Amino acid sequence: MAEAVAGPLDQHHFAIRRLHSLMGIVPIGAFLFNHLLTNSTAFLGEKNFDDHVLWIHHMPWLLAIEVCFIFVPIAFHAVYGVVIALQARSNVSRYGYGDNWRYMLQRVTAWITLVFIVVHLVHFRFAHWFGAESYAAAHPYFLAFTQQGFTMWLPMSAWMVIYVIGLAAAVFHLCNGLVTFCITWGVVIGDDSRKRLSLAAAALGLLLMAWGLISLYALGTMEARGPGGAEPAHVAQHEHLS
Amino acid sequence: MADAQIRFRIKRQDKPDAAPYWDDFVMPYAPGHNVVSALMYLREHPVNARGRGVEPVVWESNCMEEVCGACAMIVNGTPRQACAALIDQLTQPITLEPLSKFPVVRDLLVERERMFAALKQVKAWVPLDGSQDIHEGAPRISPVDQSLRYLFSRCMTCGCCMEVCPQFHEDSRFIGPAPLGQVALHNQHPTSTYFRSERLQALMEPGGIADCGNAQNCVKVCPKDIPLTQAIGELGRQTTVQWLKDLFVR
Repeated sequence: MAEAVAGPLDQHHFAIRRLHSLMGIVPIGAFLFNHLLTNSTAFLGEKNFDDHVLWIHHMPWLLAIEVCFIFVPIAFHAVYGVVIALQARSNVSRYGYGDNWRYMLQRVTAWITLVFIVVHLVHFRFAHWFGAESYAAAHPYFLAFTQQGFTMWLPMSAWMVIYVIGLAAAVFHLCNGLVTFCITWGVVIGDDSRKRLSLAAAALGLLLMAWGLISLYALGTMEARGPGGAEPAHVAQHEHLS
Repeated sequence: MADAQIRFRIKRQDKPDAAPYWDDFVMPYAPGHNVVSALMYLREHPVNARGRGVEPVVWESNCMEEVCGACAMIVNGTPRQACAALIDQLTQPITLEPLSKFPVVRDLLVERERMFAALKQVKAWVPLDGSQDIHEGAPRISPVDQSLRYLFSRCMTCGCCMEVCPQFHEDSRFIGPAPLGQVALHNQHPTSTYFRSERLQALMEPGGIADCGNAQNCVKVCPKDIPLTQAIGELGRQTTVQWLKDLFVR
């Protein structure tokens, strides 16, 4: 059975590997950047976030874009990535070089990110399949809806831990993947240029991480006013008591 | 230092399908020993640390000056040439293991055929003239190019880079770093460029350059300081161009 599958995979081995490498940067890396951009508008205020998400929801061909440029590339990158990851025999315990650690972490963060994306999709994108309210019903109070999501099923602290781990794994995988992409395609060749690229990727990683963290901070601490611009329930209650 | 000793802990295997086991050896200290010369002493005195007579340890070696690659083994956890591993610089007991990525024939002797098969697969040679000269006069090579190529030409197919590569193992088809270095070398040679496309196309097969995982261990253990990661980067670029040519030109 394995032989039957091996045919076309072998025939287009190089092209599939290169496609896998490319997909990680475009569109998946570009999508992650855009996703962090959207999230970070929460830090700028409820109206910013709601307006931005509303703009996305009003994009023409939204579902087609979502399927062609997000779901399909991520599914391909994940499934073929599992094939690649299973071929690794990591040996950092014996050869603890920094680059070898990054090789191992690239695969570990791949598994973490894969699990996290599934959790994240169930948590927000497809939560209505699992008995939660549809995100479409949140229209146009997306921030309030998102915040509710962070107390759904689990306490907010648990969700925050999950999201910080998922964010860190995804950002590491992207930024280290940017370096390996450049080696794979022959953009950088020599050791010095590779080191410069690694430093730049590390700086980018820290930046993306900080960007993602302030979004989570805003989502965790902001008091969304929700529908009708009413005071959040617990604030109103507090004032009533006093 | 009259009572000084050299202690070994050697991973042994009686035949290819036998289970490996550890055997300890002790021999009198003498200055200037390397692992191969010490193994020669043990071959003359095949008695293990418990005083039992055993079959002499089997290993492979030739040149004794780190140019042939035959005596590659894992010395104190690091793959290297046993002849260049000086006893005075090693922590004792000195552990010796066969390279783990190749089938063991006996004790420290392994079958490295897979590496030579890979060199054939990628045509890692300079073609001789056929019925006619394929170049006019001696090809000119600048000293700068020559010095880089000299580094690659020092590869002795010892297998140390394969040993540390997490992508190279018995269940993978990856040809490993050493043959990639040879493709980089031969694709630069003026007369050898005739095979350039064929070499690159061979590298684009399953087990070729796309199977490199960028762990970059190879370059760190190479006993000949061959810039293997540079070769891999260069071949990444060459195969990218070759791929696009095959897609759009052919």
